[in-house]
Amino acid sequence: MITRGEPPFYSLARSLCQLVNMTKMIEAENLTKVYKGKVKAVDHISFSVEEGEVFGFLGPNGAGKTTTIKMLNTLATITEGRASVAGHDVSRDPGGVRDSIGVVPQELTADDELKGIENLMLAARLHHVSGSAARQRAEELLKLVDLEQAAQRKVRTYSGGMRRRLQLAMGLVHMPKVLFLDEPTLGLDIQTREKMWDYIGKLNRERGLTVFMTTHYLEEADSLCRRVAIIDKGVIKISGSPAELKQRVGGDVLTLELAESSIDLTDFFRGVQDVSEVTKTGQVYRIKLPRTEKALPIIVEGVLKKGTQIKEISFTKPTLDQVFLEVTGKSMRDEDASESDSMVQNFMMERAR
Amino acid sequence: MITETLVLSARALKKWIRNPAAVVPGLVTSIFYIVLFGSSFNPTSLFTSGLVGSSIPPAIIAQIQATITQQAFGGAPTYITYLTAGVICLILVFNMAFGGIDLVLDRQLGFLNTLLTAPIPRAAIFLSGVVQNLVKAMFLALLTFLIALAIPNGLELPSGFGVVDFVGVFLAFALLGLGLSSVFTAIALSVRSIDSLVAIVNFLTLPLIFMSNALFPSTSFPEWLRAIADVNPISKANEAARLLIVNGTLSSSQLSTFTGDILYLLGFVVVFGLIGYLAARKALSAE
Repeated sequence: MITRGEPPFYSLARSLCQLVNMTKMIEAENLTKVYKGKVKAVDHISFSVEEGEVFGFLGPNGAGKTTTIKMLNTLATITEGRASVAGHDVSRDPGGVRDSIGVVPQELTADDELKGIENLMLAARLHHVSGSAARQRAEELLKLVDLEQAAQRKVRTYSGGMRRRLQLAMGLVHMPKVLFLDEPTLGLDIQTREKMWDYIGKLNRERGLTVFMTTHYLEEADSLCRRVAIIDKGVIKISGSPAELKQRVGGDVLTLELAESSIDLTDFFRGVQDVSEVTKTGQVYRIKLPRTEKALPIIVEGVLKKGTQIKEISFTKPTLDQVFLEVTGKSMRDEDASESDSMVQNFMMERAR
Repeated sequence: MITETLVLSARALKKWIRNPAAVVPGLVTSIFYIVLFGSSFNPTSLFTSGLVGSSIPPAIIAQIQATITQQAFGGAPTYITYLTAGVICLILVFNMAFGGIDLVLDRQLGFLNTLLTAPIPRAAIFLSGVVQNLVKAMFLALLTFLIALAIPNGLELPSGFGVVDFVGVFLAFALLGLGLSSVFTAIALSVRSIDSLVAIVNFLTLPLIFMSNALFPSTSFPEWLRAIADVNPISKANEAARLLIVNGTLSSSQLSTFTGDILYLLGFVVVFGLIGYLAARKALSAE
């Protein structure tokens, strides 16, 4: 982008800055978005994404994920703070940002009336890739997302999963430095979802593609992202690698259901080494401890000694769901209702095509 | 910028051609306009069917009829000959106005956002909207012209009507279309829902058409309405096209009227193209 009246040393200074920040693909400092002077959608968040990293923004609907993506993609202005993408300041050099990014939006934007390959070629041409280079990349990407067979079919005949895969390919056809994925698997069944994770993981491993994604599926963040940030009501509550975050909520949860008995074993469980918390609901005890394997024999032996029968025993390794519950005070599942709302909306949109 | 404009326009037109549901109603509407307006509004039929029960001698009726056709319809041999230019203007207005629905859908379905995050000049997004609507509407304009020619008692071109006259007629239509397309593309890019687009467009199109000489000669209007109709670009395009369609070879005073109309339309395109672009740029800027 040519900025009129800019002293020549500015561009030199900018290149130097880019050199210094080379490993930081995305940087956000106190990024804030206030809509119409009232609604604070994103509230002073700071984070950075390194080159070759898959970074996940995890949060319920309306948490500020899409607004953040919109600011980084130049679709929304920044109310306060600053952000840069691939070394370009988002507010001052939106053209530079647009040259470097690939965007896979939440909506399915491929044209029903055009064939799969035509949609890809259109996306390529709009990013100044044309001729044989465009065709070659389009074919490569169709192979990657397993749509070779359907390339010559109109998109109207595609299933939801195929549309999502095509959308992913459309975001990649100009070989962007950073790929933005907004809810890449929204509304897909679990097999199709895992397929998408495969593609994204592969792109990251084999091509070193930097990915910034939003999701409200915890498994998705867990299996794809090297680092995640949990965002709620426009604020980042916690960030780190999935393993680190899980560590922080305090290890495993052992669930024991005992046969009817008048004895309360809460105190006994609390006394077992390393147990951090015990809650009892009816005859079901939830015991929090760092490693179940170590304490399990002691617990089982203790229960039997008190003359009580164990009806059911199970334990879970920590999940991001628990992390989420811990930092936001609510379960991701509370959001199920609003998720189905957005599914209905998506459905209506597809009908409108 | 030109490449992107062409790529985007080609996409829209490809979609349009491949979707018979979008093209066929347009064709049928063109036929309806010509045939129905031509039959139902035809004031000369009052005379040909005879003034029943009146004692006026037929020779005088014929004379009245000739005078009226000469004065009101500029000497057009049939009513449809007089009407064709006006109906084409009407088709241009309606198609430009409602062509914007595709652009609103592009916004609602997220396609517009994918354009906005791509390195495309914002002007190309606006221009492609203008071009796609213009091409669609001009296609229907041409078709309406051909239909009018084909039907019995329809459009009768004067003997001297040649290629140059044809180009002149469609130059007037194209300039009107370009200006209108800029206005309506800007409106379509500025609204967020089809409902509001339809509301605005309905509010604009009827006065635009009825405050012009497209359907009735403005000589019969009250003075205030004539004042408005005379500056309406629809009237100018209609006047220019109608002069050629009815007369073929123009007299020098007709030629200066024609030239004046074309220059006026050029001004209309420049001014409203610019206003449209500025409005569109605002509508396409980051939220």
